[in-house]
Amino acid sequence: MFMRAYQDMVFSTAARLAGNDAQAEDIAQDVFLKAYEHFDSLRDNPRAGGWLKTVATNLTLNHLQRYRGRWRLFTEMHSESADCDYAPLDPPLPDTLAADLGQARQSALIDAAVSRLPEHQRLALALYHFEDFSYQEIGARLGVSLAKVKTDIRRARAALLPLLKSCGVVAADLKD
Amino acid sequence: MNESQKPQRPQDLLERQVDRALRGLAPRRAPRSLEVRVIAELARRAALPWWRRRILQWPPAARAAFIVVCGGLIRFAWPATGWAIAEFGALRRSGAPALSWIHYGAAAVSGAAQLLNVIAGALPMSWIAAGLVFAAMLYAALFGLGAVAYRTLYLNP
Repeated sequence: MFMRAYQDMVFSTAARLAGNDAQAEDIAQDVFLKAYEHFDSLRDNPRAGGWLKTVATNLTLNHLQRYRGRWRLFTEMHSESADCDYAPLDPPLPDTLAADLGQARQSALIDAAVSRLPEHQRLALALYHFEDFSYQEIGARLGVSLAKVKTDIRRARAALLPLLKSCGVVAADLKD
Repeated sequence: MNESQKPQRPQDLLERQVDRALRGLAPRRAPRSLEVRVIAELARRAALPWWRRRILQWPPAARAAFIVVCGGLIRFAWPATGWAIAEFGALRRSGAPALSWIHYGAAAVSGAAQLLNVIAGALPMSWIAAGLVFAAMLYAALFGLGAVAYRTLYLNP
């Protein structure tokens, strides 16, 4: 029951940061195994959700940082050049096509677009918008400058903007 | 990491609207396999004998005994190391036959080094350079193959 109450939140947190469902499932498993070790204090604790979210965030960041150096060349060969990751994702949707989809389908589309962002942009964006980190906290946690954090988030927003407009979740005349 | 640090700049319409749109996303649904995996892992851990679990989960008596044994080993290790070094030096000075294998090992390593030196001296420099380039290309090709396989089979199955 405890796990069912929180598993979507924990998986979402890991998946939106990691951008990979298989890794997110591994991380979510580790989160609940840790929770089991502290189950006596978490069982009836109203802050259990916050604890799980923090652990999921930390485990995901640790996981990504542990493997980043090892796998960077493997996963980001296409995005190492200076600004080539600024392009919008995918072929743009017609202006109102996604607006006609149900909310669940829209969420899935947006989640998929977030997961396809380059890792440095996705991490900064997800930490800022999903996990309430400040720019400074993101820079400190990822070991990058404040300016890079702001640039990455701005570019990620710009990449997502056409899809968000198409879904009708931001104003159609919004400029990046 | 709290609400007061979130978008406070009313002029930044894009930031606020994207923030609202992303926060409005429904949570991702966890795969059904997650619960099964967690329960299976907990069952596996529960089935482990106590000595294969983390020391904090050992029975108190076993933990106490472990600490005593470790303390004894540490207490014993320092004088034992000194004694072993002294004894080894004495044996070496006396030319004991029990240590002859060390001389054989050293001779083998030295011989291999001399052989490599002779081979390197006999080969033309261009052969050595070509060999190094070939090895580097082979390494790069295998690395690239691994990267493509990883991206194709794992990231985009």
